[in-house]
Amino acid sequence: MSMIAIASLTIHDVKNKLASIAGVAEMHGDEDTVRAMLHASELLTQLLVFFRAEHHDLALNIAPHTPEDLIAEIAINQYTKRQIVVCTDTSNAPAIWMYDEALIRMILMNALQNALRYAHRGVAISAKQTGDFLEICVKDDGPGFPSELIANEAFSAPVSAHGTGLGLMLAKRVAALHQQGERQGHIHLFNENGAVFMLRLPA
Amino acid sequence: MKKPISYRDKRILIIDDMADMRNSLRSQMSALEITQVNVIATVREALELLTHKQFDVILCDYYLGGSTDGQQFLEYLRLENLIKRTVVFIMITAETGYSSIITAAECLPDDYLLKPFTAETLRLRFERLVEKKIRLQKIDHFYDIADWSEVANACDAVIQQPDKFLLDAMRIKGHALLMADRSKDAISFYEEVLSHRRLPWARLGLARANKAEGEFAIAKQILNELINDTPQLLSAYDLLGKIYNDSGDTANAMTILEKASDIAPNSLKRQRSIVELAERTGDFKRVESILTSVVKKTKNSPLRNPSDYAKLSNAYLEQDDIQKAAATIDEGKTFFKESSKMRALSAVEAQVMHKIGKPDLAAQALQQALEGGTNGISDDLALTIAKACLVNGETAQAASMMKHLLQNNPESEVIINAISHVYKDYGGEEATKALIEQSAQEVVKLNNDAVLKAKAGAYSEAARMLTDAALRLPNNLHILANASLALLVDVLMNEFDIDKIEQSKLFTNTIRKTNKDHPKLKEIAQFLLKIQTKYPSESVS
Repeated sequence: MSMIAIASLTIHDVKNKLASIAGVAEMHGDEDTVRAMLHASELLTQLLVFFRAEHHDLALNIAPHTPEDLIAEIAINQYTKRQIVVCTDTSNAPAIWMYDEALIRMILMNALQNALRYAHRGVAISAKQTGDFLEICVKDDGPGFPSELIANEAFSAPVSAHGTGLGLMLAKRVAALHQQGERQGHIHLFNENGAVFMLRLPA
Repeated sequence: MKKPISYRDKRILIIDDMADMRNSLRSQMSALEITQVNVIATVREALELLTHKQFDVILCDYYLGGSTDGQQFLEYLRLENLIKRTVVFIMITAETGYSSIITAAECLPDDYLLKPFTAETLRLRFERLVEKKIRLQKIDHFYDIADWSEVANACDAVIQQPDKFLLDAMRIKGHALLMADRSKDAISFYEEVLSHRRLPWARLGLARANKAEGEFAIAKQILNELINDTPQLLSAYDLLGKIYNDSGDTANAMTILEKASDIAPNSLKRQRSIVELAERTGDFKRVESILTSVVKKTKNSPLRNPSDYAKLSNAYLEQDDIQKAAATIDEGKTFFKESSKMRALSAVEAQVMHKIGKPDLAAQALQQALEGGTNGISDDLALTIAKACLVNGETAQAASMMKHLLQNNPESEVIINAISHVYKDYGGEEATKALIEQSAQEVVKLNNDAVLKAKAGAYSEAARMLTDAALRLPNNLHILANASLALLVDVLMNEFDIDKIEQSKLFTNTIRKTNKDHPKLKEIAQFLLKIQTKYPSESVS
């Protein structure tokens, strides 16, 4: 049995355990535990996707989806107990776009998680079409990305202690796998009254 | 204003083998104020429940602990038409890898959910799916009653007012055009879709439409490119395998199905297709190896199939392992009680009993295998029963079954080879040749007799003879064409009879589906015109 097969099975079992803890916690109204379990589970998903990407085994399942639905779903699952308002704007989003929903959800969950950590009062998630791209932004009102991160954006950030590096690296890979003709998906990080994580996916 | 979408009155079925997941799903349902909920642990219970209770949503875990997984369960439900299209099927799974499983699957759930998820997520998904079912309600309705032209119309209604369900409607429309035998329309529809984006399902549809039009080379090329670009799309392999198989290219058919099987080793349907090919090439070692695993996997599952046991036992017989053949029959017989499903098993049993020297039991098993007659049975079953007849010395019985098979599949290489194999120890190719000749002569004689009747003015009698033959041999286009003509001549010469015209049209449609350039189609059309001229007040079309 290959390492990746063993990792998949183990992750699968652990996620089942987390799901049942989250289930019990939800029944008791223990939201903190639910959030912690969801977050832990997301990290495992990332780990598995990372394994697959390393083994060139990341077959994308690109299919038509509705950005509005995806963003609504991400916004209701915030993993912080701090009182931060998450608002969404999908009024200019296209009705249908082509992408791998499971992977894009993973990327955006991770971006939201980061934004929530640094935001003062609020996070805004928006989706709109600009030219031949779908543009999804996760924007917070915090101190913004550190300048080194923005300066080195072209390079993969090293895996840092709190794990954001892995998330960003994966996000870049997954975005780049969304290709249509000459156009390629990508991630853009910049500051604008806070940090903005922008994911652009080609039509 | 849009009406608020309600899911609270929905009837939900939850299937999960893990008790704590069942508990948490149950509590999530009550958090969503959904009260009509059944929660069970196994596929067996689900099938039992589905026989007498209707549901709007099925939430099913992918891993069900036993031998059947959620995907196999879903495929079984759709194959056996156990749930309507309006029922929402949601798969629950713990890993993202499931998305690669559904890319490969021929049968998609309406949605899938990654564990863990909150009641809120579930609520959003329910709302979304209920909204979709409402938007596609008309399409689903006509789909369930297989009225394909109406399905296509209902899709057009959605396509003309595009929203987020546009691509769902387009995908179904293509399928509906194919099902309605409008393959030319399907080709232009898929080409139009593909001019915007090379969607895999549209490429597959275009290949199907080309196959239906008899453009096998084009279909093969599309499929090869598609497999190259999207190696996970297993339906493309299956279709390509079928094209090879139909043209008698068993070797290529086998190669392509095995490739697909490497990607998705759990598809029972495909395993069984490979078994059929292996049987045809006489590779019983392979039949044994595949079926041993299939039988083991389905042993305690409602998806087990008596013909797997019959074929496995037969594979042992072919390899002269009588003991294992007998043991397999015994095992099969403990599972299946209904005799109509056991004919193949009985036929193999008749051979085993003969070989171990128990002629009484052999005769008894053969009797059971023969019960139910020849009409409408599968080619496979006919061959198995014929073999049992030969082994037990019922030569005439075997010959009559094989002649029927030949007459119903004229000039089919596949059938001729299969019969040669059955007769391998009973006269081989010589015997097969004789059967082919006799069956052809019988058809010629039948035709001649009918022509004589017609010449003598007994048009109704001629039409009746040929109609009987056509119903008995529904794949024999020659007989079908003559029956169709005889019915029309009868109407033209005697009196107007709408039933006869309808019957004639049914035959003509079958001919057109198989061979749109069949030489008799023109003549049939001319007779229809003549009838319309003679009976101007009646509507023929």
